[in-house]
Amino acid sequence: MSTSKHLGATASHDSAETRRATREWAASVGIPAENLIELGRGGIENMVAIEQCWALPGAPYFQGVNGHVSTVGALGAFASALSYGTAAYLVRGTTWVKVPKSIKIVARGQTRPGVTPRDVSEVVMHRLGASGAVGMVMEWTGDWVDQLSMGQRFGVCSQAIFTGAWTAIMNPDDRTLDYVRSVTDRPFDPLVSDADAAYARTLEIDVTEVEPIVVPPPRRLDVLPVSELVGTPVNWGFVGSEANAFIEDMRLVAGVLADRKVHPGVILNVTPGTVKVLREALDERLIDVLVDAECVIPTPCAGMDGGWNTPLAAGDVCIATGPANYPGRMGSTEAEIYLASPLTVAASCVAGKIVDPRAMLGS
Amino acid sequence: MTPLRGNAWLYRGLLDVDWELCSWSLVRDLRRQGIEITYETVGKYCLAEVDPTFAERVVPGDFLVGEENIGYGHDHDHACISIRGAGVAAVLCDSSAPYFLRNCIDHGLPVVEVPGISSQVQTGDPLTVDLIAGRVTNGRTGAELTFGSYPPFLLERLDEGGLYPWLRKQGPLKKVWVGDVVTSRVGAAR
Repeated sequence: MSTSKHLGATASHDSAETRRATREWAASVGIPAENLIELGRGGIENMVAIEQCWALPGAPYFQGVNGHVSTVGALGAFASALSYGTAAYLVRGTTWVKVPKSIKIVARGQTRPGVTPRDVSEVVMHRLGASGAVGMVMEWTGDWVDQLSMGQRFGVCSQAIFTGAWTAIMNPDDRTLDYVRSVTDRPFDPLVSDADAAYARTLEIDVTEVEPIVVPPPRRLDVLPVSELVGTPVNWGFVGSEANAFIEDMRLVAGVLADRKVHPGVILNVTPGTVKVLREALDERLIDVLVDAECVIPTPCAGMDGGWNTPLAAGDVCIATGPANYPGRMGSTEAEIYLASPLTVAASCVAGKIVDPRAMLGS
Repeated sequence: MTPLRGNAWLYRGLLDVDWELCSWSLVRDLRRQGIEITYETVGKYCLAEVDPTFAERVVPGDFLVGEENIGYGHDHDHACISIRGAGVAAVLCDSSAPYFLRNCIDHGLPVVEVPGISSQVQTGDPLTVDLIAGRVTNGRTGAELTFGSYPPFLLERLDEGGLYPWLRKQGPLKKVWVGDVVTSRVGAAR
């Protein structure tokens, strides 16, 4: 059980009340105290699930709320939230599924410098469309996927719901199995799709053609090349959420910010997804870079996503790696949220306006 | 379960659970004010960003009709609560986002996927929806559309008014089922 995902260290009475109520309920039903993953210990619950391998290849994985549990599908698990039906599942031990069709993504090639997995996944979703995969499972395949690290794979799977899909999945390979074995000894039976499996649809993409993208408010899949939005002033930046709160993302940001500072008119919030990511970032001296660049580094959680930590006010313009850009998502409904990759966010926060991150590489 | 009868309210385009159907940030702000999110408290905000008059004009028993992927986005059930709270008896659509489908059913609100319905219905049309026979009839045009009917176990829950009213009818709950994940030591992994 993870209670710190969105609330983080929010200084509000109702988040304190939520914590207290959760503690009391957990104690009353016999959940061991160490299973309540609180501040200082956890972070984004999907990422904690991954770090602990609560999900395993070849098995279903159900959690309470949050459709971004699709992130966990990169382990080769069928990952779903139960949402309002969660308590009933805990009581009865059974639930129901309407068996979904699958849609196959075949991503081939290598991205060019300055282009990240976030850019590729956004372009794929844009091509599928907001209703391109309604009710389906997005199965990510292809040699581009094969060469992604686990942290990159998880991020790619995190946004599936925005195509109407239920969840995402990747066929477990040696990298997946090595990862799971490094975490747990629990037995599992990995499954992979049959070579002749039937898919509702297949979308092929050559990732070499992908450019850095930006998604302007308010529509989730109005994905544009960054060149169309260059020059848009921003006064906030956010790197985090299960799309981009892994150590790989912290490295991308630190790579841009080394020997640079965030623009004086901008606040850049970089929130590692879990305590483990924070520890790794500390060990790699990435936090030094972020501190020297004058970033805000909150306690591991979902960060600015949800508007609980460092919320936006009317008139604020934020460039973010978060999952959503609808009005009010990060605070005021009169604020604007542009979605982009960690590189684009970091570079734009140095410039004080949206820029093509490739202009800042290698200098 | 008798056929449902009411008038249609057709809204085109993508209906996001967090904006068009019921603003997520508004519900967040209500919670901060200490207001409990119930059918009564949020029904009035249903579709407010698309049609501010909907909640006042909709008559209990009416139908919300949408195009494909209704309930787009997150698995947030405040939208289902809002739609049911406004008095809608069922949601009809060309297709439904998967979490919206589950959450509505669990809240006792049928979501009926009938491909093509959005082009067969106009706002104000009197409709009859038979969940058991799997049939929607438009009283104005005479058109009849069929759909795959719900499995009996879901019809049972809808009949009771949702998952939890149905669950309570199953008898006293003896104890919370605590499965492997909860009782095993988290972090026992290497």
